[in-house]
Amino acid sequence: MRLMSSPWFAVRNLALAALAVATAAAATRPHYGGTLHVEIRQSFETPDPPTTGYGMPDLARAFAITSWEAGRRAVYAADENATGGRPYLDTVEIEMARPLRDQSVDLELGKTDVVELGPSELRRQPAGRKVWLSAPVRLVALVFAPRVEDVRIREALALAVDRAAIHNVLLQRQGEVSAALLPQWLSGYAFLFSAAADPARARTLVAGLPAAVRAISLGVEDAAARPIAERIALNARDAGLAVSVVPQGAGADARLVEVRIGSLDPALALAGVAVSLGLPEPPRAASPEPLYAAERALLEGFRVIPLFHLPDVYGVNPRVKGRPGITPLGEWRFESLWVEGGRP
Amino acid sequence: MTFRTRLLLVFTVAVVASVALVEWLVTDSTRQAFERMEAQRANGLVAQFRKEFAERGQRIVRAVNGIAASEAAVNIAISADDSPYYNEAASLASAHGLGLLELVAGDGTIVSSAEWPARFGYQEDWLREPADWESRGAFLRREELPDGVTLSLVAVGTASAGGRKLYVAGGQQLDREFLSSLLLPEGMRVLLYRNLEPGFSPAELVGGQAEDVPRVRPLIEQVQQRKRAIARTLGTGASAETFHALPLTGYQEDLLGVLLISSSRRELVELESVLRRTGMGVAAAGILLGIALSWWATARVTRPVLRLAESAARVAAGDWGATVESPSAGEIGQLARAFNRMTHELVAQRERLVQAERVAAWRELARRLAHELKNPLFPLQITVENMQRARERYPEQFEEVFREGAATLLAELANLKQIVGRFSDFAKMPAPEMQPVSFNELVSETLKLFEPQLAQARVRANAALDPRLRPVQADPEQMTRVLRNLILNAIDAMPEGGTLTVRTSALEGGVRLEVSDTGQGLTPEECGRLFTPYYTTKAHGTGLGLAIVQSVVSDHHGRISVESAPGKGATFRIDLA
Repeated sequence: MRLMSSPWFAVRNLALAALAVATAAAATRPHYGGTLHVEIRQSFETPDPPTTGYGMPDLARAFAITSWEAGRRAVYAADENATGGRPYLDTVEIEMARPLRDQSVDLELGKTDVVELGPSELRRQPAGRKVWLSAPVRLVALVFAPRVEDVRIREALALAVDRAAIHNVLLQRQGEVSAALLPQWLSGYAFLFSAAADPARARTLVAGLPAAVRAISLGVEDAAARPIAERIALNARDAGLAVSVVPQGAGADARLVEVRIGSLDPALALAGVAVSLGLPEPPRAASPEPLYAAERALLEGFRVIPLFHLPDVYGVNPRVKGRPGITPLGEWRFESLWVEGGRP
Repeated sequence: MTFRTRLLLVFTVAVVASVALVEWLVTDSTRQAFERMEAQRANGLVAQFRKEFAERGQRIVRAVNGIAASEAAVNIAISADDSPYYNEAASLASAHGLGLLELVAGDGTIVSSAEWPARFGYQEDWLREPADWESRGAFLRREELPDGVTLSLVAVGTASAGGRKLYVAGGQQLDREFLSSLLLPEGMRVLLYRNLEPGFSPAELVGGQAEDVPRVRPLIEQVQQRKRAIARTLGTGASAETFHALPLTGYQEDLLGVLLISSSRRELVELESVLRRTGMGVAAAGILLGIALSWWATARVTRPVLRLAESAARVAAGDWGATVESPSAGEIGQLARAFNRMTHELVAQRERLVQAERVAAWRELARRLAHELKNPLFPLQITVENMQRARERYPEQFEEVFREGAATLLAELANLKQIVGRFSDFAKMPAPEMQPVSFNELVSETLKLFEPQLAQARVRANAALDPRLRPVQADPEQMTRVLRNLILNAIDAMPEGGTLTVRTSALEGGVRLEVSDTGQGLTPEECGRLFTPYYTTKAHGTGLGLAIVQSVVSDHHGRISVESAPGKGATFRIDLA
């Protein structure tokens, strides 16, 4: 297999070029001032602002925290000495723990500047709405607990899930269907992992197994992902599995989890995803072939069933100007933004 | 049991039976009337419930048609991409008050499902069957939900636009909440059995309680078999309920459920209970009144009879002149008058009989006197004639004849004197002078007096005296006379000699005295007449001895009897208390 000529490298190179251009533009923009209001669904309950991960920690590049109300609100002020120069914005106010629907309403009413958009909210946005869209960097996958020992159960569930229906309807065709850990744009070989449902084979696999073995609890981290879990349960039912959706933390047999791709380097990204999913760290691969083999090996026992790769989607108030505020990996880059009506 | 008691008993039985019969007839007819009223009420309630059920169905039809006619449904129908609408059903169902709603594309693919959102993309082929959904109205359907199978009342509407069709299938689950939302009349409740599994499953009974399961199970099973409505009354007493079990069929006429409409019989039972208690109270009062009237009537009826009975008792006691009043002209009056005539006749007959007996007694006495006196008179006459003949023909022998004749005359005169004395004794029997008498001593002394006479008659005397015997109140003179008469009787009965046995034995508070001989004995006829005055079996007896004995014993309130058989002697037994 010749992966060097695959779209994987083309997409990766494109993303790196866009990042370089955006960085260069930020260093040369004028200073308009103003406050950018941002709403997010996530709630950080820590005493101090997060310093790792994505989103708010990305602001530390050009802003400094000035106010922190755990779980509710954070205010960042422009760092005069930021690398690449002072940001256009004076402050960034972030309101946490806002449901997606409320965020969408606030954006519609002009009460905020940047909001997260789920599939349903994206569909409801008026025509011409400014939207920031990252590459599909969020892996949605099923992860089995070690106590689910029968590989037939795990494989049957992998075969039962109708990814296409979920992608078309629940995800409104955002992102892509995938049976691989790394997205197609990053690895270039994701299409080699079959994502097609085969309920007949799934039924054959579990036929004859005791009912107790065929009963699986499926934990859901995020309430927004519950419809996906419910659909998986319905698909599993058709295959002869009894999947019950339970809240996360109830010691479920399987979990519906979301993991972010943390690097534009496929090998690093695979290693990061594997660690996040509790899989063994794959050997370092310098080329796509061993990377493919490593990923195939990670997925061999159906401990993890990749389902989708989803992008980060933000709705943006028209008064926000400048280049997109996120990178292809979904990192915040607000230092290059400015808002109309801000301080001259 | 007296006549009055028996009459009262008959009257009481008649009254109780009559009142009970009337009470039963009244209660039964009343109960049947109430049962008919209850049946009419239950039918009315069932009709009311059917109307309510139909109204619910109409409401669902209106809601579904409203959704089908909405702009949202038209938009979905004409949309080339259904995916944006997968969540529409929930909001539409909520807005139109439906618990279940599915929006199904013309090809049978579920666009959106309110009850099971995850079912988008699945097929609902039943909607594509040729059917006029608009005119069908609401119908029952087996519905699959995430948590199991349920029964629902649904209607189907269609939205068509641009050559595309959208099915709108909505309704309500037939569950406990649905049943509780129905407006039910007082005393009525509704249970639903969802016939979703083969056989009977207690878990499918909705709206009832655990104790209802065994009660209604046979009814449900009957409806499952016959597939037609059945009405039964289950339970007893105030807790009884009349169940109308109605089969609920789906659009393919398959039995999907059994609706149990229960109407409590408490009100009827309580009403019947009040009626029964009232009836029993009235019946009891009627019976008591009847008994009181019977008492009065029997007293009125039996009073003349009692008087008759008392008069009859007086007549039996010797008061032959007793009469009764004849108060009425009825049968009792006739009986009283007949009784009075009878007693008058008895008195007259008794007087005639006494007179006849008196005449007969005089005749018998005259006959006896003539017989007794004739015997000594004849030797007197012969002796006197001999003395006259000797004086006329043989003067020399007259002296000797005179001496012999005088002796004979004196002897016969003494005999006559004895006969007259006996009659005199019988006539003047004195009242006994009671004092303690030792019968053992009395027997011993009497036998000692008779020793020469017994020896002469070659009769051996034997005394068997009971040493336990205690003195008994008696007149010693009269009892000695009794014993002497019996001993003389025994000696006379044994002309060839024999054995005389006198036996005493103690009775409770008295004495038994027996005198037995070994003579010829008596026939039963002789035994019967033995104590009749002037009756004798002896050639020279007066027939007064045993009559005197019986008279003395009777004066001592004792009893005398005789046991004898021909050739086996006789035993006279006297019991004194």
